[in-house]
Amino acid sequence: MNEQVTGALISRLTAMADDELLLGHRDSEWTGHGPLLEEDIALANLAQDEIGHAVLWYGVRSQLDGSDPDSLAFGRAPQGFLSCGFVELPRGDWAFTLLRQFLFDTYEAEALARLAGSAHAPLAEAADKARREELFHLRHTGLWVKRLGLGTDESRRRSLAALEELWPLYAGLVAPLPGDQLLMDANVLRDWASLSGAVIDRARTALAAAELDPGHDPDPAPAERDVVREHRRELLATMQEVARQDPEAVAW
Amino acid sequence: MRWEVFKQDAPSKPHQAVGSVHGADAEHALLNARHVFGRRPAAISMWVVRADRIYGRTAEELAAEAPRAPVASGNEGTYHVFRKASHRRSMTFVDHLTDVRAAGPSEALAVALAGAGAEPGLAWWVVDANDVHATDPDAAASWFEPAKDKTYKQQSQYGTVAAKRNEGAAG
Repeated sequence: MNEQVTGALISRLTAMADDELLLGHRDSEWTGHGPLLEEDIALANLAQDEIGHAVLWYGVRSQLDGSDPDSLAFGRAPQGFLSCGFVELPRGDWAFTLLRQFLFDTYEAEALARLAGSAHAPLAEAADKARREELFHLRHTGLWVKRLGLGTDESRRRSLAALEELWPLYAGLVAPLPGDQLLMDANVLRDWASLSGAVIDRARTALAAAELDPGHDPDPAPAERDVVREHRRELLATMQEVARQDPEAVAW
Repeated sequence: MRWEVFKQDAPSKPHQAVGSVHGADAEHALLNARHVFGRRPAAISMWVVRADRIYGRTAEELAAEAPRAPVASGNEGTYHVFRKASHRRSMTFVDHLTDVRAAGPSEALAVALAGAGAEPGLAWWVVDANDVHATDPDAAASWFEPAKDKTYKQQSQYGTVAAKRNEGAAG
């Protein structure tokens, strides 16, 4: 890989890792607050899995530039993150959290299937590993979206409110990065041009089964990953607080 | 609604009762069972059964009931019979022992007890096979395989904790 392609891959990996890390953190905010014990455990599991995927992507990046995943997660300033607005929003209510996680799982299932065929072997291997448990995630979050969509008046009202807030930002999650074309030319990203359409179609089909209609497709807006939004700042302030007080963790 | 969870660790092992979960229906209960009982430990299959559909008897209850002819009180069909054989295992309750054809759970238990011969049991559960909701064998790869890559970590495995302890000792 030449320097340009490597740079593009580092950006791609960082964006994916940051999305997983921030979404995992938002999910983890439910720990101890879940609606019943089993769901509390379940969401903590999903949160750990997403943070685990972030570790995978940071790890592939580390092989390229020698960066330290812990430092990237806990020592980086908000303006250095490449997360999208979709994952940064506060956790909201149960319907919002589960719908967001479901939409993210739908995106991830499509993305991982493509990344598993990457010409960059470490990326393909990491994608293959993450892919298996993502199918289980989809079962769990899909079950909830359907039940909440077809459930009571209140669950339906909350689901529709969540969809209204999340759907316009969904395009930002799946939008290509500026360097993606270079990666597509080098077969590091395969079949990537079809990703966005496939994700939206798959999400629509599942939402229709829950009688949730998002209306028109989200406008294909740029992801604006280089913009520091207040929610990102607030999330990182909490997540990095302990590490900032004691970066080496040598005293309680 | 409460569901009892049965986990099978390997093809050569029986399904064992490992605990219970809440679930609005069978699918929900199975997903929760996987989250609670199958994230780390080995598993290849899980069953869930509505707790109120389980016919259970302890050895003491059987002794107090006897002698009485088994009652054909249910559907003619296949029943799974589970037994708790000893107090040695603290993390599981009854193990799947055998399947019998019978016209109700008490008859199924009588048939199983006659067949079990000299093997004593501390407690028995009987489940109508139609009440069992099992994980899809095709889904095992995504439900159970990832557990192999996840490990339990004791507190002492984290270097930070050790460093703290040493620092405390030095201070």
